[in-house]
Amino acid sequence: MIAVFFQQALNGIILGSLYMLVALGLFLIFGILEVTNFAHGEFYMLGAFATLFVMTGLGAPFLPAVVLAMLCMAAFGIVVERVVFRPIVGKPLINGMLLSFGLSTFLTNAALLLFTADPRKIESEFAQVHLRFLGLHVTLERLLALAVGTALVGFLAHFIQHTKTGKAMRAVAQDRIAAQMAGIPVFRIYAVTFAIGSMLASAAGSMVGAIFLVSPDMGWTVVLKAFIVVILGGMGNIRGIVCASLCVGLVESLGGGFVSYAYKDAYPFLLLVLAFLLRPEGLVGGRKA
Amino acid sequence: MNRAGRWIAALCTAAGLLCVPALFSLDYYLHIFVMAGIHAMLAISLGLIIGFTGQVSLCHAAFYGIGAYGSALASLTLGLPFWLAMWAGGLSAGVLSYTLGRLVLRLRGHFLAITTAFFGVLVTVVLNNWVSVTKGPMGIPGIPRPGLPVFLGSWTTFESRVSYYYLVVAFVAGIAYLAYRIVGSRLGRALIAIRENEELAQSLGIETMRYKVFAFTLGGGLAGVAGAFYAHYILFISPVTFTIGESINILVMVVFGGMTTLAGPIIGAAILTILPELLRMAGALRLVIYGLTLMAFIVWMPQGIVGAVRELTTRTRTGKPGG
Repeated sequence: MIAVFFQQALNGIILGSLYMLVALGLFLIFGILEVTNFAHGEFYMLGAFATLFVMTGLGAPFLPAVVLAMLCMAAFGIVVERVVFRPIVGKPLINGMLLSFGLSTFLTNAALLLFTADPRKIESEFAQVHLRFLGLHVTLERLLALAVGTALVGFLAHFIQHTKTGKAMRAVAQDRIAAQMAGIPVFRIYAVTFAIGSMLASAAGSMVGAIFLVSPDMGWTVVLKAFIVVILGGMGNIRGIVCASLCVGLVESLGGGFVSYAYKDAYPFLLLVLAFLLRPEGLVGGRKA
Repeated sequence: MNRAGRWIAALCTAAGLLCVPALFSLDYYLHIFVMAGIHAMLAISLGLIIGFTGQVSLCHAAFYGIGAYGSALASLTLGLPFWLAMWAGGLSAGVLSYTLGRLVLRLRGHFLAITTAFFGVLVTVVLNNWVSVTKGPMGIPGIPRPGLPVFLGSWTTFESRVSYYYLVVAFVAGIAYLAYRIVGSRLGRALIAIRENEELAQSLGIETMRYKVFAFTLGGGLAGVAGAFYAHYILFISPVTFTIGESINILVMVVFGGMTTLAGPIIGAAILTILPELLRMAGALRLVIYGLTLMAFIVWMPQGIVGAVRELTTRTRTGKPGG
């Protein structure tokens, strides 16, 4: 029983680190452009497909393929920001929401046409390596997901805190007009934000594609959970997002293992309700980035 | 428009709607019109929440589904006729939306939208897994048609599409009239005040939370009535109809028509029910085109059809280039 508990907890942490990567992108885009990007899950899906095609097409090993896919998705993110989202910056929130629904519908169905609905698996060379320690059982692939997640969030935290671009991003998140007056190229910051968000989503998608499966409709459930993470994280800072994503991953995994697997998609909502009851003012109170 | 003009417009619309079955007698067309009517009920009720009170809700299909299941179960297990089961559907949706509203309406903007979206997912999960009551993904078949009480308690049921068409027109008219009376009243002005500036409204003595919960409950309850109508029209319900995709669909109808108006949601529902049928010939490309159209529409015409028409008429009347 104890062993099963720890096994589920480990799986939950790995799951949480994947939600974290998607949620960080959403959080940055939300904080800086004030847009809820419901199409973010499609970036994650496209990132997974990009890794798959780089591996099957060029015969590249898994990790270089993931990096290449992240670069492709960064370019894609910049294009999407310029073409789709820039016209509606500063408009009412419902516009951005519906725009991203449109984008999400478009990307999902275009992927469905181009890539077909068959679920596929990214065959990474780490899948066959099984590790056992303290009675826990884990594939190297899953540990790799955890490691990549940790490394990326470390990079991101350093980037936001200490580089000039990162500081400019925080300034734009605090006050766009004041940042513009201080000479920060706001539109370039938007592009950087989208590039980073798409890269993180792409990395998460590639990991999920290796552990589970890749299919055109994989984005939608993830994006909602990532939003829950962003809300639970309190819109405050990266640390909040990390804690909240681990919570959501653990609750989903432990709940799915010990309570009822069928209801596992519902548990994050219960977490949210609990948070409302305990901290009715705190969720919205925190300021962004 | 003056009072007489309004009456004439209303009478012309009514006459036009009553003539529709004579012009389009095919069952296929009538089915689309009935579905447009159901969507119009949903869009009007969501319009009360989103357009007039300014609270973005992404779980309208959940209340639609709860109404459908509530009504279907009431008529199948308790043997209630449609006219009573409908209330069971509407009330169960209303009670749930009241509970949810009390819990989440203190959130604003994006937070409210995402939380309600997740509530919609929760309802879908429950409908799929609570097999002993909802029969899960198999759905509930064999829901009885509505009956009309005729003399001496003998019941005739709605057999033809034409009769359903007239029934849906009556329902939409009733709900639209209710919304019209609310919007024109003190209550409606309080809701609009909350939409425009919640802090200011509160400082003027409007109990914003109570009014927001009221709008949310009424909208949810009316969506439940629409769900009951759907259940007793299609005669089969399953969870796939009431997903978050449908919530977004209803939201798009409201915004497409013009969310701060009463006519907007109805027009949006009619157009966005009929247009996808025309797109059927595009096959697999249909949803790709739909996504592109939605994006283009949000970028170029964010105020909706009714809003754009209004802007155009004021521009020609005043001779000024509008903003």
